[in-house]
Amino acid sequence: MGKDRFLPIIALCVLAIASISSIYVYTTQATTETILINGHHYTIDQLFTITKPRTFTDLNYSGIALDDLVVQTGVKNPEIHTYTIIGSDGYEKTVTWENMRNGVLTHNRMVVFSDLPKAFRVKDVVTIEVK
Amino acid sequence: MKLFAAILVFGSLWGFAECIIGSMLRDANLPAGALMTGIFALGLMTLSRGGFRQPGMQAGMGLVAGALRIVNPFGGCFLCSAIAIMAEGILFDLLWTGFSFDKRETHTLLNQASFGISASYIVYIGGYFITQILTPVFSPAGFYLENLVAFIPQILASGLLAALIGVITVPAVFMAIRLDVTVKDRLYYPLTLGVSALCWIVVIINTILISWF
Repeated sequence: MGKDRFLPIIALCVLAIASISSIYVYTTQATTETILINGHHYTIDQLFTITKPRTFTDLNYSGIALDDLVVQTGVKNPEIHTYTIIGSDGYEKTVTWENMRNGVLTHNRMVVFSDLPKAFRVKDVVTIEVK
Repeated sequence: MKLFAAILVFGSLWGFAECIIGSMLRDANLPAGALMTGIFALGLMTLSRGGFRQPGMQAGMGLVAGALRIVNPFGGCFLCSAIAIMAEGILFDLLWTGFSFDKRETHTLLNQASFGISASYIVYIGGYFITQILTPVFSPAGFYLENLVAFIPQILASGLLAALIGVITVPAVFMAIRLDVTVKDRLYYPLTLGVSALCWIVVIINTILISWF
């Protein structure tokens, strides 16, 4: 008997881990109509009213400028902070002020950065933490 | 030499599938990552390893496929995808070797299905983890461990579909291997090099067309 005799047990463990994780993700998924920024809740329409627009023509994304969003929501000395953007599925990315200056929040609540890889795109944003 | 030609052709087919089919699946809002890993990556790696029984082959295929992904920016971030593909090749290689799959001519259906589940899941979430670490490391934003830790349950959950596809893919490929289809020696190099070249040409033309339009 080789090591492959453990394969069915490993496969069962894999299925158990994946299934339990799926149940956990499904039950803890956050759904909200507002975005929490620096401790205050805003609707996407509110944010689009107070913030400057920005378009990335080559990426085909348009929305509002993330750096202006931070300023308009009352963050003092924005350049000294880092920003953690969190999606409803728990996906989160921490970026610098320089990245925020190259970022856009679209109307369907997706964050896109022109200077960062696609892995930094966060869908259905629910929170922007200022650290 | 035959082995290198095989690495080139299987890696090119894998890269071609990732660039063209994977991008179409993403555009259709389908779970492209799990489908690509569970069907194409796992299928091509099982087929090549089952046929050649050479350790290191799938790591080489991952390098070729990842390189092809880098030249094709279709679908956005090519760096993350390329890193994930290369990691998948290495992980599959380690798993196949670790389970001593080369030492036996035949495997029970239970073992084939179990390997399909385990390999597809580990390769998929392994690639996911590695790309979530390496992509930020090579980007201006940098890597934050708390970002990864917070997303671990989602990564573990996302591999379920890949695991369920793997239970079908690996036994199906083993059945295909049993058909024992071979290419005549005089056709081997023209065929492998021709198919590889075709994959690269289509992907490069696709890249040029995207940048024009």
